[in-house]
Amino acid sequence: MTGTATGTAQGDAPLLDVRDLRVDYDVAGAAGWRRRALTVVKGISFTIAPGETYGLVGESGSGKSTTGRAILRLADVSGGTILVDGQDVATLGRRTPLAYRRDVQAVYQDPAASLNPRHRAGRALTETLARHGLGDRDERRRRAAEAFEQVGLTTEHLTRYPSQMSGGQLQRVAIARALVLGPRLVVCDEAVSALDLSTQAQILSLLTDLQSASGVSYLFITHDLGVVRHVAHRVGVLRGGELVEQGETRQVLDHPRHEYTRSLLAASPASHPEGREERRAERAARRAVTARAATAGATTAQEAA
Amino acid sequence: MGKLVAYRLLFAVPQLLVISILVFSLTYLVPGSPAAAMLGTSATPEAIAHVEAQLGLDRPPLERFVEWFGALLTGDLGTSFRAGMPVTDLLAQRLPATLSVVVGGIVVALVLGVGAGVFTGTRPGTLADRLVTGGTVLGLAIPEFWLGLLLTTVFAVQLGWVPIVAWTPLTADPLAWLRGLVLPSLALGVTGGAIIARQTRAAMVTSMSAPYADTLTAAGVPRRTQIARYGVKNALVPVLASTGVTFAILIGVSFVVEKVFALPGLGSLMLTSVIGQDFPVVQGVVLVTATLVIVVNLVIDICYGLINPQARPQ
Amino acid sequence: MSNAVILDPADRSPAGAQARGVAQAWHRLRRQPSTLFAVVVVAVLVVVAVAAPLLAPYAPEATDFDAPLSGPTADHPLGTADLGQDLLSQLIYGARTALVVAGGSVLVAMLIGVPIGLVLGYKGGWYDRIGSRGLDIADALPGLMVGFVVIAILGRGMAVLVLAIGLVFCMNFARMTRAITLTERKKLYVESAHVSGLRERQIVFGQVLPNLAGPLAVQAAVFLGSAIKVEAALSFLGLGLGDDQPSWGGMLGVAAEHQADQPLMAVAPGIAILLTVLAFNLLGDGINDALSGRRTTGRRRTALLGRQRPPASPTLAEVRAAASAADGTADVAAVDAPPVATAPVGPGRAAADGDADDDRSDAAVLDVRDATIVADRPDGSTVTLVHGVSLRVRRGEILGLLGESGSGKSMLAKAVLGLLPPGVRLTGGSIRLNGTELAGCSERELRAVRGTGLGVVLQNPQANLSPVHTVGRQLVDVLRAHHPLSRRDARARAAELLDLVGVNDVQRRLDQYPYQFSGGMAQRVAIAIALAGEPDLLILDEATSALDVTTQSQVLDLVLDLRDRLGMAIVNITHDLGVAAETCDRVAVLYRGELVEVADVVDLFDRPQQPYTAALLAAHPTADADIDTHDTHHDSHHDSHHDAEVTA
Repeated sequence: MTGTATGTAQGDAPLLDVRDLRVDYDVAGAAGWRRRALTVVKGISFTIAPGETYGLVGESGSGKSTTGRAILRLADVSGGTILVDGQDVATLGRRTPLAYRRDVQAVYQDPAASLNPRHRAGRALTETLARHGLGDRDERRRRAAEAFEQVGLTTEHLTRYPSQMSGGQLQRVAIARALVLGPRLVVCDEAVSALDLSTQAQILSLLTDLQSASGVSYLFITHDLGVVRHVAHRVGVLRGGELVEQGETRQVLDHPRHEYTRSLLAASPASHPEGREERRAERAARRAVTARAATAGATTAQEAA
Repeated sequence: MGKLVAYRLLFAVPQLLVISILVFSLTYLVPGSPAAAMLGTSATPEAIAHVEAQLGLDRPPLERFVEWFGALLTGDLGTSFRAGMPVTDLLAQRLPATLSVVVGGIVVALVLGVGAGVFTGTRPGTLADRLVTGGTVLGLAIPEFWLGLLLTTVFAVQLGWVPIVAWTPLTADPLAWLRGLVLPSLALGVTGGAIIARQTRAAMVTSMSAPYADTLTAAGVPRRTQIARYGVKNALVPVLASTGVTFAILIGVSFVVEKVFALPGLGSLMLTSVIGQDFPVVQGVVLVTATLVIVVNLVIDICYGLINPQARPQ
Repeated sequence: MSNAVILDPADRSPAGAQARGVAQAWHRLRRQPSTLFAVVVVAVLVVVAVAAPLLAPYAPEATDFDAPLSGPTADHPLGTADLGQDLLSQLIYGARTALVVAGGSVLVAMLIGVPIGLVLGYKGGWYDRIGSRGLDIADALPGLMVGFVVIAILGRGMAVLVLAIGLVFCMNFARMTRAITLTERKKLYVESAHVSGLRERQIVFGQVLPNLAGPLAVQAAVFLGSAIKVEAALSFLGLGLGDDQPSWGGMLGVAAEHQADQPLMAVAPGIAILLTVLAFNLLGDGINDALSGRRTTGRRRTALLGRQRPPASPTLAEVRAAASAADGTADVAAVDAPPVATAPVGPGRAAADGDADDDRSDAAVLDVRDATIVADRPDGSTVTLVHGVSLRVRRGEILGLLGESGSGKSMLAKAVLGLLPPGVRLTGGSIRLNGTELAGCSERELRAVRGTGLGVVLQNPQANLSPVHTVGRQLVDVLRAHHPLSRRDARARAAELLDLVGVNDVQRRLDQYPYQFSGGMAQRVAIAIALAGEPDLLILDEATSALDVTTQSQVLDLVLDLRDRLGMAIVNITHDLGVAAETCDRVAVLYRGELVEVADVVDLFDRPQQPYTAALLAAHPTADADIDTHDTHHDSHHDSHHDAEVTA
């Protein structure tokens, strides 16, 4: 059930096909009047097959969340295409078709913030169903209750306020909301990063269980290589808005080809203290090399001021 | 730093322009003819036509505005309809008293407010804090002009410590000027002090419980140094903002308080002009006070930039 | 990111868990005497205003030429005005005027201000940029001035007065609504609503507006008070309602004219205004407290108790279920084990380990014994955050303090530092630093130890440094707290320290502000500050949790280098098993305030003695390749150990 699951339908036409995606942000200049464009995603391409989990890893500022927001049509796309089922959604107008909202859903990092603090948990689901014209009042309640059971909550949780639930329970509500419409792709943006270790494990296994039951695809955005190894079939490594490497998760993490992936792996804490002195020496050597390269005039990924 | 001053000055210009447009358009907001409103119901049509011509209401608004604004730039605000004097002269007569009492009030407000705020903010939850904070709640609620009445009743009428009509121009006798300002400044400063005290207290509590306070405490920086150097400077950022707001409030309130102390300020001028619908004077008073507030906020913003490095343009 | 949970407001208190919304707000309201006072005053006021014709002994405008300015008499308890009008009756009818004008004007202010604020805040972009400039410009007009101008244009009268005062406050409503809408709009629940396909209208009115209701209610209450003050001021000046309409401000206007002969005339109307404004202000404070669940006195205790919410943190059974789920083994035979919290450490390794032995002569830098930390609850009861934990750290050793949120690991560190928040105290045990007892030390005694004895680096890199002081200034202040150095020497030493922690270009960096530093660099500065007093013990409280992995590894390697060079003892508090594995010599595992076990780091990862530790290890997803071998490794161990413990 971990990342190396073989159920990937490699031969099928991709569900999501992102080509040369570019996203610019309009940032405020001094005193708020002058604006300039900042390119956050610099032309990346990847595909996700039906039933597949694609991990997008990167550090802060790498553009990974922006990529997710562009796919969710929350960030304006400056270039490239986002094909869902062969149809380009990057060039749609201001309005997003409801059908697209049904197909593409999201689960966010902070479960407490992604639910309205003044609404009971069940309302997030019934309201969504109502908007999509699904069922009458009773039918919607029934479907919400069903979705809650699917994610391991009880009907009692439907009437609770977010402040009365734990982080793990809230994330289950968020997952139930994402899945109640029967989407084909769910963008999970750091969906387990704010959770305690034990809760994190539960949510990860819930997500994989739901995937094998419904065949939904995940775009799993995270900074945590451990989580990626755990859930993703394939992985892309983002740095500064560019995909430096992508491929089968195990292939990329065990035999990284790009230097950045290697340094990322070297920096990630290991699961066991064994061999840590060697790893420390290796990191020191790696830094010495980049420092030398920097003094030699090359531009490197040194930590900027 | 120079950049910040330049930016801020650049923003003040459109602000003043918009205010003057608003002020200019006041006469057009009066239902019916402002001339008729000024002259009352018994006015003859000839008199109304005469006043309308005097106000320029018979000409297109844009033409009239260009002329009015041009005059404004040379310091000419027109002529008071009631007093028959140039508005600029009237304002010049009244401004010193208003400025004196507002500055006095702001000084009282800052001393009381920052003092009480730092005192309570460094000992939150204690009895002393609750007492002083309770006092600020009272200070917020007390009507300034009533406080002024009580103060004059007790100190001027009953005890006779200060004369009832106390205004002396600064140029005539600085000491008498100061003596005359004590009670009005107190009456005016208490509410402002309460506003600033609440802001300061909240800012001090935040600043003293922030992670950097823990970092410095753990590194061995004595508490007194921390309060004086780190607490106060960090707290100053929100306090400055509330001082700007307080200043605007105090100018308005001074118009009321000056009646209690019989001060010859802008307030009584405004009052007679409002009742008499003497629009050129009303326009003049609004322009002058708005300019004062804009200038004070400009200074405050520059101080803000001095304290907070992130507020400076990069 | 575990602080997201910790910083939650106290909405999770058991009392609040039962009912929310109005009922809960009412419950909190009742516990505040000042709010109760406010409610009573407002209620009395409303009754007086409604029943004025029944209560007033005379008509308010009825003159009595036999007794003008009479002063208090049997017929006129408060005396009479200059035409012999009864002041008590005027006071009673004045309540009517005050409430109607204030209520009407706040309504006008909200009707104008709230929609403006909603549009600016929700639309954002150019709407907001231009609209906010407009609000700034409106700021330049003192509120009362707006009132004067409106009256100058439209003349006197009830409708004009309400409009004039309403215009005074509408910009405040607009500004507040804009600010809150702007914050709410960026929140994830609004983004989620977009993703769900909800319409803009549904989002603004269904999602954002309910979150505005509370702050708007607070503001409305406060402005009701202010409006009464403005109404009184305008009436005092003779710009309010007609002279025949009784109002408190008008009464004060008459009183001012007779200040010399009738000084008492000013007392009653003034007190009426004061009490009314006070009541509305207190009501606003009360609503605010009830909504946010916080006291305005700034005590952090209620916020802190949010972390102690037993039903919310996972039970051991859940942890184990999760662990087995992560393992892929469906075997949950061990789930019904007694939770660690109630049946803590058996006679296992933790008790036998050096951390609890009696040899105090050993060169332990830090020696914590039986530390118990409790927090006060608002209702007077207490919660135990840390239960009798014992730990020792030797020179040159790095002890990991590992736990999930709510485990008490940070509280333990704060107790050592003497920085426990108000309402939280150490109630038992001893904390010795180099043999000196710290428990029960005064602030003065603690200061002697801080910096030189111990230093700390906290989680959030930017917040660890004062934003309005240069980095150099902060280092110099710390250095001069310990050594009698001149400014110049202190600066030279500060430069050395920055160099020591791997900051380049130190002379320029010393004059920079924290916001000019990246997270990793800011954390290096925080380490430099902690090291300035050359402490024997360095406490890292989730010091690298907010950093990217690359930066985290750099800072952790720096800590290891510094330990090798300077030889201080280090306590590394973390929730991250990987960080513990990479840096610690020994690891103490905490769960819900209990010490689960302490062991050498290799032993802990190879042979966890306690089921909780084993479950944690199993739940840890890692990036390195050998995960599978380790997992099977653990399984074989933890079950056998677990059985042994249960039977023991």
